[in-house]
Amino acid sequence: MLKKIQKHSHARFEELGYPSKKLENWKFSSSKHLKKYDSSNSGKNISIDHCGDEYTLCFVNGQITLESLNKFIYKDDMNILDIDELNDETTCSTSSNFEKEALFHLGLSTIKSGKYFEFKQGSKFDTPIQILNFYSKKTEALRISSFNIFKLNDGNNISIVEKDVNEGSGSFNLSLNKFICADDTILNHSILYDDNTESNYLGYNYYELGRNVLLNIDSMNINSTFNKNFIEIDLNKEGSEVKINILNLARNQQHLDNNILMNHNAEHCISFQNVRNILDDQATCVFNGKVVVADGAQKTDSNQSNKNLLLSRNATAHSNPQLEIYADDVKCGHGSTTGALDKDSIFYLRARGIKESDANNILVKAFAKEILQEFVSDDIRNLSENNLSHWIDG
Amino acid sequence: MIKIENLKASIEDKEILKGIDLEIPKGEIHVIMGRNGSGKSTLANVIAGNETYEVDSGLIAMNGNDITEMSIENRALQGLFLCFQYPVAIPGVSMAYFLRAALNAKNKHDGKEEMDAVKFLATAKKILSDLGLDDSFLKRSINDGFSGGEKKKSEILQLLMLNPQLAILDETDSGLDVDALRTVAKGVNEFKNDNNSVLIITHYQRLLEYIEPDVVHIMIDGKIVKSGDMKLVHEVEKNGYSWLMK
Ligand SMILES: Nc1ncnc2c1ncn2[C@@H]1O[C@H](COP(=O)(O)OP(=O)(O)OP(=O)(O)O)[C@@H](O)[C@H]1O
Ligand SMILES: [Mg+2]
Repeated sequence: MLKKIQKHSHARFEELGYPSKKLENWKFSSSKHLKKYDSSNSGKNISIDHCGDEYTLCFVNGQITLESLNKFIYKDDMNILDIDELNDETTCSTSSNFEKEALFHLGLSTIKSGKYFEFKQGSKFDTPIQILNFYSKKTEALRISSFNIFKLNDGNNISIVEKDVNEGSGSFNLSLNKFICADDTILNHSILYDDNTESNYLGYNYYELGRNVLLNIDSMNINSTFNKNFIEIDLNKEGSEVKINILNLARNQQHLDNNILMNHNAEHCISFQNVRNILDDQATCVFNGKVVVADGAQKTDSNQSNKNLLLSRNATAHSNPQLEIYADDVKCGHGSTTGALDKDSIFYLRARGIKESDANNILVKAFAKEILQEFVSDDIRNLSENNLSHWIDG
Repeated sequence: MIKIENLKASIEDKEILKGIDLEIPKGEIHVIMGRNGSGKSTLANVIAGNETYEVDSGLIAMNGNDITEMSIENRALQGLFLCFQYPVAIPGVSMAYFLRAALNAKNKHDGKEEMDAVKFLATAKKILSDLGLDDSFLKRSINDGFSGGEKKKSEILQLLMLNPQLAILDETDSGLDVDALRTVAKGVNEFKNDNNSVLIITHYQRLLEYIEPDVVHIMIDGKIVKSGDMKLVHEVEKNGYSWLMK
């Protein structure tokens, strides 16, 4: 199966080439600097010490380690296969929009292998599963691609916490994931990025939802040099609810980029997108959020909110919330604001004796916490609040 | 306590304060009345150090120290407190966190130890109950969704917690029902002693039925045109401001 997919993707990439700024999703983010990352590494010969506990699936340079698979506590509650072993083409297929993305195909055509993780029906997964993506770069100009598929069966309640650990020189990490959520499932997907190696991250996450699915995506991102993220969600049957809460913090010349496409293909679904960026220095961010309500997707309730806080005159935020509605009985809201800290609020706090720098920090935290308080997991929220404090302090 | 000499201030090149002279000695309560837009809030803000306004000339001195160029927070730490006419809402910052941060800043400045959480809560709860506010008030975000009366009471709560030397009340009596007005007046009287001072900016005499002022000033078009006692308040209440204009 993998060969066939890769052959197609290879051809698509050859056809499309590196994305240019003419493309809507790449208007404010150049792909030029990614071209130099042209060598790949299987990660086979890299050994790492901190592979995580029995709840951790540890990937080294895109490949899962046998060690973590062997000690994985849920291994009997799951079917874990190589993607190559799958016969069903629809399981591997991704969204028609990713199909248009050259770098998605570049990633797919260059993976060495990928895993299919299927959660068994009736099994309990009470403790969150941690996915540790370990990137170890001994070589310059390294490009690391990975592709994994997660399949939730009816009734599964799964929490996944994804963390990236970068080591060595910068690389280009291309991460592709597909999540298939069958009817009556709950998926909490938390993503924490904290990088300090000048790595480039490009992610494509596709979620396919059945009936009455609850999907929460909570993400916090700090210190990424270049982090561009595509999230696409197909709400294919009625009764599902999606909440996305993303907080990005950037300084220096860091670039953060969230592209979210929410396809309401069925009636009675709810979706929220809540994305906040805090930018200092010359940092830039992009929010491309789009909700498409298909003909017949009545009673859709969707909201997109993007708020950007600029801590420096040289920081830039691009915000582009979009709505495409083909049904008549829907409730769709969207809003976007970009601005500096409120002067009156700073004056108010300082007028009570609070130092200017402290007043600023209090307001930055308050802005960030409105996202963090929505995070489903207390642990992730606490961790994120710590990260936030560290980031603010320096 | 505070002495203001020939203070001129402007915003966006528009002169608003046109030479204010005002002295409030320790232990006294002064009142400023004046038409809408005459510059009362501007004066309060300029005293507090609001950088939106440009001080063009003049002097503000507190306890003999020139504070005209001092930072906002240092003025507060010197004992200046402004009850805002329109307190700003700050979502995401709880009253408890805010009050503690302000108290800690003050204690640090005064060379005192940080107030511990238990003592802080006890002090805050006592004042809250005096003001007729629920303890849960501390968990709410600063002025976020507060009713008009709650905003004013919140300012008085801060006044009583921080116990400054000079309190400027900018229309703290506006928009209050009779009971709330009495509560606020009680709070101010509780704060007042022989060692501190109060400047009340108001449009009405009703607050002054509870708080007795020592001096009343009338402000017209950025200047103090007349000073006197309570009689002046009654005259304004009866005849308006026209007779005071040249
Ligand atoms: N931030 C500002 N920007 C522009 N103009 C301002 C600003 N603040 C005050 N002004 C102007 O300065 C003048 C005085 O305003 P100020 O608020 O000091 O009046 P006030 O005496 O407090 O009035 P009120 O009794 O209505 O509260 C008004 O003409 C007002 O429009
Ligand atoms: Mg005013």
